[in-house]
Amino acid sequence: MDNDYFSIDAILAENQKIQCKFKQRIPEMGHLGGGSERDITALSKRQIPIWLAYIIVYSDWADFDIPQPFSNKVRNALRAEPRSVRLSNLVGAGTGWYVFGKTIMDMLGDEQGVEMSEMLVATFKGRLVDVIDQAQHFAALGPVGGGGSGGVDSAPQMFREGLDTTERELFVSAQESSRRMRKWYEEGNGGTKRVL
Amino acid sequence: MSLPQSLRSSVTPPELELVASQQLIEIIPLIAMEKTAFISGAFGPLQPPRKTKIPLWMAINLKLKKKCHIVAPEWLAVEFLQSCLDEELNQPGFSMLPFRYAEVSKVLLDIAPDDIQSTDKIRSLLKDLREARQAKSREGLDQLNRGELSLSNLCSLEINEIRPFFVHAMGILTHLHRDASTEDQL
Repeated sequence: MDNDYFSIDAILAENQKIQCKFKQRIPEMGHLGGGSERDITALSKRQIPIWLAYIIVYSDWADFDIPQPFSNKVRNALRAEPRSVRLSNLVGAGTGWYVFGKTIMDMLGDEQGVEMSEMLVATFKGRLVDVIDQAQHFAALGPVGGGGSGGVDSAPQMFREGLDTTERELFVSAQESSRRMRKWYEEGNGGTKRVL
Repeated sequence: MSLPQSLRSSVTPPELELVASQQLIEIIPLIAMEKTAFISGAFGPLQPPRKTKIPLWMAINLKLKKKCHIVAPEWLAVEFLQSCLDEELNQPGFSMLPFRYAEVSKVLLDIAPDDIQSTDKIRSLLKDLREARQAKSREGLDQLNRGELSLSNLCSLEINEIRPFFVHAMGILTHLHRDASTEDQL
């Protein structure tokens, strides 16, 4: 969740591709987007991984589009109800929606960047309480219980499957903490664990 | 660090219990003992039936050997807990319970139920209190922002329970936040 050089999450997020629209002709670089042409022609569009896109965008050779996971359609859905969007489906496996969003946000100009930040924060906040609630619920079920809460297609189940990697980490830490508390409250009744 | 992930974020409840065991508690000794020096200080002398204050860990030890009666702290009584519970249910804030009430009350109820009046009632009150307070700290999640979070009168065990994910969530919010003014640095 940070831009640290050694952060695995940040490295994985940079592997995501974004669509770049080149402003000028760049010779001998046609292989970048996986195409078969020799040159990149002006106004052509290519999918470029973010680690490469930085230099291209900052050097003003190309503009980039806001990627699909942050398109207006998704934004509207999130605005309507953050909990109904399955974030994990928006980005590929192994990367997080928030981490990707953060990377894009840092590349954007002021106005768009702030707007994006607001969207990310609002989404995170809107989902947080449910994430924690479910984590605590599952901690209470104990190690055996699993699909207790109303079938495979129920809303909580859908929500859980749609959790982004960042939210999954939170889920795990909340669950672990809650489980520890439970264990402590339940154990040692009658002072059996206290040795003389 | 080689600690498992779960132990890095916060201390465990048993560790908190250990910390709470340093607190002093009043006992009525059933044996005589001279004033004795321990690493944490000198305690005693024990002269039955005079009340003395000793650390909780020592009281636990003596109690399990049936060599003392424990005097329950003032707050571990039905009236006080009931008033706390009422306050908890009617007021938005957390009620003023001792910082380590959860640890101390559990230990005392475990080892010295015979020294406490109406233990069943107290147990159920403590449980209600815990649930009411948990519901409130959950509301605190709603107000979470990247800067600060104020949940005053939260006790040690409760802080410890919510610490891992509150801290984590606040960290994430900090990362996701962007001020218009940070543009210059980019």
